Amino acid sequence: MAKARELKRRIRSISSTRQITKTMEMVATSRLKKAQDRVVAARPYAAALAEVIGDLYAPELAERFPLLRRPAADAVGRRPTAVVLITSNRGLCGGFNANLIREARRRLQELEGQGGAGGAGATELHLVGKKGVAYFRFTRRPVTSQRIDIGDRPTPQHAAQLITPLMTRFAQGELDAVEIVFAKFNSPMSTPPTVLRVLPITPPPSDGRTVGRSDGEGRGRSDSPTVRQSRFYILKPSPEAILEALLPLYVNNQMYRALVETAAGEHGARRTAMKNATDSAGDILDVLRRTFNRARQAQITQELAEIVGGAEALKG
Amino acid sequence: MRVTLISPDRSVYDGEATAVQVPAFDGLVGILPGHAPFVALLGEGEVTVNHGGGVGRYDVAGGFVQVAADVVRVVAERADETIKEGV
Repeated sequence: MAKARELKRRIRSISSTRQITKTMEMVATSRLKKAQDRVVAARPYAAALAEVIGDLYAPELAERFPLLRRPAADAVGRRPTAVVLITSNRGLCGGFNANLIREARRRLQELEGQGGAGGAGATELHLVGKKGVAYFRFTRRPVTSQRIDIGDRPTPQHAAQLITPLMTRFAQGELDAVEIVFAKFNSPMSTPPTVLRVLPITPPPSDGRTVGRSDGEGRGRSDSPTVRQSRFYILKPSPEAILEALLPLYVNNQMYRALVETAAGEHGARRTAMKNATDSAGDILDVLRRTFNRARQAQITQELAEIVGGAEALKG
Repeated sequence: MRVTLISPDRSVYDGEATAVQVPAFDGLVGILPGHAPFVALLGEGEVTVNHGGGVGRYDVAGGFVQVAADVVRVVAERADETIKEGV
């Protein structure tokens, strides 16, 4: 009977665990829905901004805007590259944070190995989210900045607070580049950790899709962007001034999207992790219940045999 | 013409309109259907959208306005429906 009692105890424990993971799965599903809506809601703005910048951009402008300037090939690695790692504040989401941290470490190593003649490339690490902070505290790697107050509803203001100081330092020539490591939200099931180089800005491609070009589908697509632009638009104050005002917005927006996508990815990853946990709890319960029933039946059979045996003995 | 007002985290307005006033960096710009293609930086102020049934007012700041083939896109860093005073 001892075995049956032990089994019963385990069955109880595992079904209450399953109850918890099932609830967490449901909570994650509803949060995922909201976070996913935010990812979708952020798209029109990003698309509009990218389109106009793509149309205004011309390679010869690059030297005149600090945010577009690339370090000369021989100077790469002289100044630090800032890496912003976005992780979640909560765990229980499978390998989500571990994957992000691994990607960040890989990238840091890569950057530090690039140093070339000028010695090892310097990096600085900026952390968002408790999980990243906890990990790098554990490894005692120096961290330039960290914050854990953003949570799963990031706002454009959060993004601006994070990226503005970096943008200023980049523009002053103190940084080689700024990169974000975040979870790209392809779908709730696919949130690969991704490195995005936000500074220097890689101009979005001008795809010639400029809204409502009335003169038609097939034409004008091969024109050079600058010529095409000035021909079709009245630009105020001037293309350069517009570009100068919009480039920082573009960088902000990339940061914002990284935050929003990571938040959505976290909930997606948690839902998957909790679904797996619920499923395997169910599997374990099946096995335990079967074993328990068998043990109980064996005991009944044995008792019956004893009774019958006893009765036979008395008769004899 | 079609007017969309977009902020970084959502679409604030999306619909048909007969006229729209936009605070550009150097003053108010009124846009009517058939406006020439146009891109201007936004200042800070109120966007007024006249649609068939009435007028929508929105506080905006930063960003740009783009007009192309009867589509007006106001892409603002910040955009909210104006809270009416005294209501």
